[in-house]
Amino acid sequence: MDYALLAATALGAIGLYLMLPRERAPLVRLGGLLGAMALAGFFLFLVRMADQSFGPTAGTGAEGRPPVYFYLFAAIMIGGAVGVVCQPRPVYAALYFVLVTLAGAGLFVLLLADFMAIVLIIIYAGAILVTYVFVIMLASQGTTEAGGGGGANVATPAYDRRTSGGLVAVAVAFVLVGAITQVLLPAADKPIATVATYEGRPAVSREMHNLMVASLAEAPPASTAPVSQTATPGAQPSNVQLLGSSLFSQYAVSLELAGILLTIALIGAVVIARKNTQEHQALGGGKLPAE
Amino acid sequence: MSQLVLYHYLAVGAILFAIGLVGFMARRNMIMMFLCTEIMFQGVAINLIAFSRFHMNPSGQSFVIFLLTIAAAEASLALGLVVLLFRRRPTLNVDEWSEMQG
Repeated sequence: MDYALLAATALGAIGLYLMLPRERAPLVRLGGLLGAMALAGFFLFLVRMADQSFGPTAGTGAEGRPPVYFYLFAAIMIGGAVGVVCQPRPVYAALYFVLVTLAGAGLFVLLLADFMAIVLIIIYAGAILVTYVFVIMLASQGTTEAGGGGGANVATPAYDRRTSGGLVAVAVAFVLVGAITQVLLPAADKPIATVATYEGRPAVSREMHNLMVASLAEAPPASTAPVSQTATPGAQPSNVQLLGSSLFSQYAVSLELAGILLTIALIGAVVIARKNTQEHQALGGGKLPAE
Repeated sequence: MSQLVLYHYLAVGAILFAIGLVGFMARRNMIMMFLCTEIMFQGVAINLIAFSRFHMNPSGQSFVIFLLTIAAAEASLALGLVVLLFRRRPTLNVDEWSEMQG
């Protein structure tokens, strides 16, 4: 039981609770300060543990430390997530979520998953979040009359400026993060029993790796096509090639099922959001608020 | 990538998941609640990619592709349902729809 880590987690939980939206919010800045201190304390704990396990080394190539940009992207990601949760206005919360997605893409690049980083930006920030912003704007047309009676909060309805169950939620989150970090981090230098890490070599099956290297080796080099790095025999396959080979060979059935699921979701979304339903006719066919 | 560095990323994923959990339980706006489930998806995605890097196995990244697929399908259907509910009563408050509660 590492009490410094527990104190940092508790401080972060208290800061998050203070920053949740409420009617009078005098302690938002204090909550932000507490949260930032908790995050800094957490990072310092990680650095200290790396120094204890592997000895203090200079530079970012140390064994027990991630690259420096990890701390930057992790801080932006956590700060953006807190911004999503604690922002009363939904459009700004969606924009903070775009920030979370971009920082997450940065972390993916640090983890050598550059294709997944681009896919995250294109699909998550580019499609899903845009859909959210559209629906937020569509669904906030009818609520301006029911909102506050003037001043700065004229556009945010009352239910956006309040939270219920915030204390229980923060307590549950504190227990969750506290338990996970207490179990994981103080024992991080003791290896798990059987861990197979193939450093520098992809751990696809042996046949797949040989197949890929052989197929790269027999690409015709005599054409006038520009020389790319995949034309050299025995080259390390790129992230896209590894991912594609895994996805279409080992997870081919799952891929087809994902396509079927997307088709079903598409049909379902069109059916759900139809306007001239039978209930609409039965209710008199009048004008609905969202039209 | 040593195990300690892996645990850095796992801790970040856990913190993101917990923040999404707080937002889901505390906010009263239906769309905001779904946005907080998307934060939980981000935390899980960080975990999967970190494990994929640790074991040098692209299976984790394949699973993140499926996770993005499920998130997109769920987002479209959930927002369709929210729009449908919004047409019945012009409010996004989940407390208005608590007739089946208790």
